[in-house]
Amino acid sequence: MSPARRIRAASLAASARFTLLCGIGFVIAVPFIWMTAASFKPLSEIESGSLRMVPHEATLNNYRVLLNRMPDPGAGRRLDLRFGRWYFNSFFVALGVTVLQVLTSAMAAYAFSRIAWRGRDTVFLLYLATMMIPGLVTLIPNFQIMVWLGFLNTYHGLIVPMAFSAFGTFLLRQFMLSIPPSLDEAARIDGASHWSIFWNVIMPLARPGLVALAILTFLDAYRSFFWPLIMLNDAQLYPLSVGLLELDSSYGRQTNLIMAAAVLAVVPLIIVFVIFQKLLVKGIQLGAVKG
Amino acid sequence: MKAVFAILLLAFAGLYAVAQITLGRGRDQVVHLTWATDPNPARTQQCELFSRMYPGIRVTVDPTDRTKLLVRCATGTGPDLIDTSALELVSLAETGILKDLTPYAVSMGFGPDKTYPQAAKAMMAGGKQYRYPCNVWANALIYNKAIFADYGLAAPPKDWTWEQLIQIGRQIRQSKPRSGRAYLVIANWAGLYLVMDLLPSHGARFFSDDGLICELDSPQAIAALQLYHDLMHVHQIIPTPAESSALSSQGGWGVGGINWFSSGRAAMIIIGRWYLVITRNWPDIRPHLAAVSLPRVGDLPPRPALYLRGAAINSQSPHAPAAMKFLQYLASREYGQLIVRDGDSLPPNPQLARSGRDLVNDACGDPAFHQAFIDAVSNSQPLEFSPFVDAPQVWRWLQETVEKIENRLATPAQACAQLADEINKAIRQNLQRRPDLQQRYEQLTGKPYRDDWWQTRRQAAAPRAPNERP
Repeated sequence: MSPARRIRAASLAASARFTLLCGIGFVIAVPFIWMTAASFKPLSEIESGSLRMVPHEATLNNYRVLLNRMPDPGAGRRLDLRFGRWYFNSFFVALGVTVLQVLTSAMAAYAFSRIAWRGRDTVFLLYLATMMIPGLVTLIPNFQIMVWLGFLNTYHGLIVPMAFSAFGTFLLRQFMLSIPPSLDEAARIDGASHWSIFWNVIMPLARPGLVALAILTFLDAYRSFFWPLIMLNDAQLYPLSVGLLELDSSYGRQTNLIMAAAVLAVVPLIIVFVIFQKLLVKGIQLGAVKG
Repeated sequence: MKAVFAILLLAFAGLYAVAQITLGRGRDQVVHLTWATDPNPARTQQCELFSRMYPGIRVTVDPTDRTKLLVRCATGTGPDLIDTSALELVSLAETGILKDLTPYAVSMGFGPDKTYPQAAKAMMAGGKQYRYPCNVWANALIYNKAIFADYGLAAPPKDWTWEQLIQIGRQIRQSKPRSGRAYLVIANWAGLYLVMDLLPSHGARFFSDDGLICELDSPQAIAALQLYHDLMHVHQIIPTPAESSALSSQGGWGVGGINWFSSGRAAMIIIGRWYLVITRNWPDIRPHLAAVSLPRVGDLPPRPALYLRGAAINSQSPHAPAAMKFLQYLASREYGQLIVRDGDSLPPNPQLARSGRDLVNDACGDPAFHQAFIDAVSNSQPLEFSPFVDAPQVWRWLQETVEKIENRLATPAQACAQLADEINKAIRQNLQRRPDLQQRYEQLTGKPYRDDWWQTRRQAAAPRAPNERP
């Protein structure tokens, strides 16, 4: 094959790949586009059965109803949704879970990767094995522990159980194993304690892994639905995911409002992902290198 | 790194303080009840009215989720009040989650005498009262007067047959309206619910009196499902699953079908009076609404299925006396008037629904419309389930049977035979495995339990003629 033909074949292959990826990307994006478009449509237009994506009469009324700026045309009064509070709760709980989980996972990962102690690998395997148990199996025991601790219907009940993670420990342990042991040894010769090595040597070098875990944990905590649903009775404590249930009742499903709420709910996730996507990918890749 | 974590922890502590301070949880002398129900905006009004009538008690709605309910009840932290359907009543009562209200109900004014006779049966499990209705309904046929006028059709008569309905359906399908628009005949929003109305209307029974034999393969049941099949595939007056998918923009056909009628694109819908609540989002349809009872089968009066959403009390509730006051409230005139105004089915206390005039509200000023739903409840029959088989499982099998018929995967006779076989097999297996059910069998039949009991039992069941009611 001549060089010119080879170049042409390569560029054709690249174009085909690009087109295929664009197609896949579009398929993935369609639900988000539809969700965003529907959030600007009145209910009657969504229910009309039209496949038209762009709203006939774009309106901000769905957002106004959600934020209690105007009455809901269906109910004939303001819905009194605590949207701001739910937003705050989601953000606050996700932040708390993220900080605590990254800290506890890093400490556990240090113990499992940098300190030699008898039975370490067995304990690690046992710890890891907890990831294999389906969440529903441990649901009632976990819930009972929360009841005993008096954490029912409180923020603690949402934050404390998620502050420890076998997955986070595993991810950071793998990451810390890739850091050369000679660095610890040099620090130890200089008289550094484990505490000092952890904070001054390992943690700065593990930054990509910490960031990856922080992002994954934040997204997970922000989106969590079932645990807050069973832990909470008080609508003031609801995160967004549970609060949105109030838009789906026997008064009929208000798709327009649900879509507007979903748009508002995913905005922080998209921001987090866009800002940190490189770190997230890098962190996961680095953590997967050494076992 | 330490500084980063210190700042983040400080930020978290600060937010925690803000969160706690702004919670606004005051210590008061009020009893707080939790009510596991759907998060319907109407509940807010209902809770507010209750607090005005009983100032020392406040009710908070806890959105119903069955797993949440079970986890909470298993750990003794369940809600004080629990909304229950007919499907779960027996299992919740048998597992001890629900409080037996029999000793208190009549003296406190929420006994069986304070509701419709048909609803009274649906409040009971094993002869004990476990709940009181929040609302009661049976389906009638709502039609759009404007569409009927467009075709030059007369209003359906009060007493009519399925043949007459099919005739009207044919006219709508085959003739051209003055406006030139095309309409769907019946927006069948949930096939299973229509089948639930057709079965008792044909005289079909789900189970034998003792609940030991499923009778859904009787000639009456087959005739009911045959009619459902014919409405869809022969007369084409209710949409097939493929048509439903094509017509529904989102949310499944259940929602789509209701919206299709609400937007004036279907001539009829078979539904409960609670449809009026939905019309808040569709005010244009309200002036065109009229309703009649469901058609009858042969000489038998229509017998739609009766449904109710009933509030029960958690047996572990520390606030049982206050929760009972809530049931008193449900039986009150004030609560009933709220239901009448909202249009959320019929009020639980029949004193407020003696005639269609009592139910006139802003959504529909025509007493005849409301009367159709009173008649529907008067003629209705509560859903029948057997204590020997899990009711939600039976419901799922029924749903599968309806889907088989809708998709023509089986004839109605084949589907009914498969359904009855499946349920009877489950009854036999449950009896074989569970000593408590064997004990119940012995109490019911007066005979000792044997594993081959069903062989003689099935032969003894005499078939009834089609259209013959037990």
